[in-house]
Amino acid sequence: MAEQRGTVGGPVLTEWFGRANLHKLEVYEKLGGYEGLRKVVTGMSAAQVIDEVKASGLRGRGGADFPTATKWSFVPKDHPGPKYIVVNADESEPGSAKDRYLMENSPHALIEGAAIATFAIGGHQAWIYIRGEYDLPYEKLRDAIAEAHAKGHLGDHPFGTDYPLDIRLYRGHGAYICGEETALLESLEGKRAQPRSRPPFPAIKGAWGQPTAVNNVETLSTVPWIIRHGGAEYAKRGTEKAKGTRMVTVSGDVQKPGNYEIEIGVTYRHIIEELAGGPFPGRKVKVFWPGGSSAKVLPGSMLDTSTDLDGLKALGTMGGSGGIIVMDDSHCVVKGAARLLRFYAHESCGKCTPCRVGSNWAVRTYERILANEGSQIELALLDRVQQGLQGGRCLCGLGDAAGWVIQSTMNHFRNEYEEHCLHHTCSVEGALIHA
Amino acid sequence: MPDVKMVNVTIDGHVVTVPDGTLVVEAAKLVGIEIPVFCYHHKLDPVGACRMCLVEISPGPPVAQAGCIRPVADGMVVKTQSAMAVQARADILEFELVNHPLDCPVCDKGGECPLQDFTFRHGYPTSRIDGPRLHFQKPIPLSPNIALDRERCVLCYRCTRYYDEVAWEQELTVAERGVHSVIASQFDQPLTSNFSGNIIDLCPVGALTSRLWRFESRPWDLHHTPSVCSKCAVGCNVTLWQRRGQLVRVTSRENDDIDEGWICDRGRFDYTDVNDPARLRVPAVHGSKTTWAVALNTVADGIKGKGSKLGISLPQDLTNEEAFLFRRLLDGPLRGAKVKMHGRTALPAPSGEQLMIKDIDDARVIIIVASDTENDVPIVNLRVKKAVSKRGAKLIVIHPDAVDLDRHRETVHIRNQPGEAAAEVRKLADHELLHEPGGPVAILYGDGRGSEDAAGLVAACTELAAKVGAKLMPLYRGTNERGSLELGVAGWDSLDGVEALLSWGPPPTAGVPASVKFHAVWDHLPRPEHQNASVVLPATSFAERQGSYTNLEGRVQFLRPAVDAEAPLKESWDVLCELAAALGLPLDYVGIFPIQREAAKAFPALAALAQPPSPEPEPVPVLMGPARP
Ligand SMILES: Cc1cc2nc3c(=O)[nH]c(=O)nc-3n(C[C@H](O)[C@H](O)[C@H](O)COP(=O)(O)O)c2cc1C
Ligand code: SF4
Ligand code: SF4
Ligand code: FES
Repeated sequence: MAEQRGTVGGPVLTEWFGRANLHKLEVYEKLGGYEGLRKVVTGMSAAQVIDEVKASGLRGRGGADFPTATKWSFVPKDHPGPKYIVVNADESEPGSAKDRYLMENSPHALIEGAAIATFAIGGHQAWIYIRGEYDLPYEKLRDAIAEAHAKGHLGDHPFGTDYPLDIRLYRGHGAYICGEETALLESLEGKRAQPRSRPPFPAIKGAWGQPTAVNNVETLSTVPWIIRHGGAEYAKRGTEKAKGTRMVTVSGDVQKPGNYEIEIGVTYRHIIEELAGGPFPGRKVKVFWPGGSSAKVLPGSMLDTSTDLDGLKALGTMGGSGGIIVMDDSHCVVKGAARLLRFYAHESCGKCTPCRVGSNWAVRTYERILANEGSQIELALLDRVQQGLQGGRCLCGLGDAAGWVIQSTMNHFRNEYEEHCLHHTCSVEGALIHA
Repeated sequence: MPDVKMVNVTIDGHVVTVPDGTLVVEAAKLVGIEIPVFCYHHKLDPVGACRMCLVEISPGPPVAQAGCIRPVADGMVVKTQSAMAVQARADILEFELVNHPLDCPVCDKGGECPLQDFTFRHGYPTSRIDGPRLHFQKPIPLSPNIALDRERCVLCYRCTRYYDEVAWEQELTVAERGVHSVIASQFDQPLTSNFSGNIIDLCPVGALTSRLWRFESRPWDLHHTPSVCSKCAVGCNVTLWQRRGQLVRVTSRENDDIDEGWICDRGRFDYTDVNDPARLRVPAVHGSKTTWAVALNTVADGIKGKGSKLGISLPQDLTNEEAFLFRRLLDGPLRGAKVKMHGRTALPAPSGEQLMIKDIDDARVIIIVASDTENDVPIVNLRVKKAVSKRGAKLIVIHPDAVDLDRHRETVHIRNQPGEAAAEVRKLADHELLHEPGGPVAILYGDGRGSEDAAGLVAACTELAAKVGAKLMPLYRGTNERGSLELGVAGWDSLDGVEALLSWGPPPTAGVPASVKFHAVWDHLPRPEHQNASVVLPATSFAERQGSYTNLEGRVQFLRPAVDAEAPLKESWDVLCELAAALGLPLDYVGIFPIQREAAKAFPALAALAQPPSPEPEPVPVLMGPARP
């Protein structure tokens, strides 16, 4: 996969990428790795760690964009039982492959970050819930954890202290919903992966009923750098409110698809056209998903949109999981949306009514449309289903995301939908046969 | 009890003051506002799955929120009738109906179906659903008693959650995912739990139906009668449903003091004998039908003056009124007779202050001795499970065999040698769980189905209770065992060697003794044991009976006849009075009320009989809609 650093203030996550055998503890440590964990367990209090991360302005990279230090501070300090950090390494969102890239190249960064986070919430145990299909990252992490234990960085006396820290790996069961944090916890406990209702939030009652902070791979992989260089240094990068750098995965109709670390605030034009080499000759970007399949689409005319998280929010979409999916003008949006809806319907866990029924209803409606059986009724139906999926109707974000796909593609490309439904043609991929 | 903070909430303009932490759906009920629910059930942990209860809540994000998982907060404003909330619920109902088979005209649930009612009250007035619906194989026989229709299922998970949370069973689950999700029994094996039938009551649609009643009648064609279950000593409250003289359904009738809305499968499904065409209805002497007068005189002649040569087998479910009259016979013309009550334990009548079933909720340590509660006292077993899994009580079981309470990983199960339970109880005084129990301790004891020395066991339990400050509950098995004990009729005599035998109810468990020369039977079904009986008297079944039972905790409850005892069938109190007259004891009661009044005076334990409760009040109508300014 292509690797390139487009970061103005210097890379953070991929700082050492390209060094031979970075996944080995020896190499990682020689470069300065585990300095952060040493600093934390030998000389800092949990509150100081949280303050440092707060100063960095780091926000979660799993999709929800929640301030990481705040999440940790929700974990009760005086809880008598165990508390857990759970690393969300389930990465199954279409368009996103950055966690895998980080784990394969620098597993120790995640381990160090998870250990620091565990210390910050006053816990001793972290779990890494890794997507079942991720074989190589699993092996890399497994070996790296063993190395860290052997070296004494994890275990009963990390860096000679009396603060036990342990990390365990758990292989997931292969469903998108396993990445939703509460479904992940259910799965980790050995149950069917279905989201829990909130309250109570995981910070109060998480894994096995104990206070738990669930963090994304990228989020935690950033933490060691923040501890080494200070939160203020990290906060120099990015925009006024959305600090730092982040990974993006560019896929689809671009010449150089791959993972890139960007400074938050660069434009999508910069990422798609400069880093990822732009569309193929003669083609134009027609539409792109700015933050994974779950983010509302933006049309090619909005390539100059900034990756600033709050700016995206204002546009009704999000930076999400950082997966940027590009579609050029040779593709039909209706077909693309139909394909994604099939994904969401297939991955719907079935727990809540709107997502279970609505996503499937949408799929069947799309099927009719693409079979040239569409009409005004199908148009109205899609509109109705997308409304029924959003706005708190569903138990978790999967249902909303399915609704956003329909809504945002209809919003920006209503003409294509109308062509399909009312005229039974597709001007993009050629006229369809009339029924 | 710590003081509960009260908070003010406004729901559609009505201000209601409720304890902090009350769920929005519950707060709304208090002001008579309906927030429709499918997955929420007040006896199950909320899950927020079906999304039927969407309302608008401020302060909060500008999206619909599930009222069943949101606890109220002071100053919260809930709107059930805002445009957002109304549309959200209508959308959910539309989704519910996308794949629903709409076979309401032949559905057992029709008329008492929340899906119908909510669609009517909260749904869109017209349907926009076209196109084919998803289909599933159906019906699936979940057990000999329960059928599952997966197309009607709204996947509220009440059934599976009940199995998990309340019954501690692992037989019911969800298979597949997404729109293909279906309720399924584990490995497609039939359900075997003694608590399975409650899922029929819980199911908010016609997805789970009783195979005994399936497609028999519409709910609105049934007459229903509030009564009490007659199958064991717990005394769960039930509703008996009658149509054209047939008992067609038994459902639970929630009483939080006793059953919390659950009944066991014996109580729910064990009723078809009532409608058996072979039911005995006419008295017979030596196989020939005759009148009550002739039959009762023959009985009187056969049993009069026999003293201890007369044996009487008593049913476990005789009422207090019957027991009272029977007591008068025993004190008079039948003095000296040997009496053996069916299905009773060897436990003596209780003395001193007793634990009530609802007190189990607050126990911190529960000790169960010599009882397989799952089968002996099923619904008490569920109460214990609740105390343990939802309220954190610790559980100690003393029993020789595995019991279903072992399914909790923290259950301390002490396996005693049969007959040695008392010794194990004595050792408990030093048990670590009893050092600082942190609250009430409950001791529930049975008789090991005869394997324990009852007197010794009661003594040991009483001693332990005194030491650790616990309350005691004897686990009687016979339906009215306690009432009969208190009235002094619950005999435990051997019937061996008797010359005359009156078998009231099912034949003696040990069989009809060979020494019997005169055998009178008073039963509701013909049985092989009746073959050589001189007289056969027809008896009422529990569904035709009126009177009262005293449950194992001493609560007197009234059963009401759901089916008329049509002539020549006679009510038991009437038969007993006539038999008494034939025996020379004039018992002249004009109905059951004078019997109850007299029994109430004679026995303090039956004081409640002086005033049978009036029929239940009508439910409060749902108010709906915003408050008027
Ligand atoms: C359907 C669904 C799938 C998700 N999948 C992932 C995932 O694969 N990886 C991830 O880190 N977060 C995923 N999330 C977000 C998590 O719920 C959670 O917000 C995140 O792990 C928190 O970590 P962060 O604070 O570090 O971002 C998903 C959310 C939803 C609703
Ligand atoms: S929104 Fe979909 S995935 Fe999420 S809980 Fe509901 S059914 Fe499951
Ligand atoms: S069978 Fe009934 S109770 Fe069970 S999930 Fe379906 S609708 Fe709910
Ligand atoms: S009743 Fe609230 S979500 Fe089902």
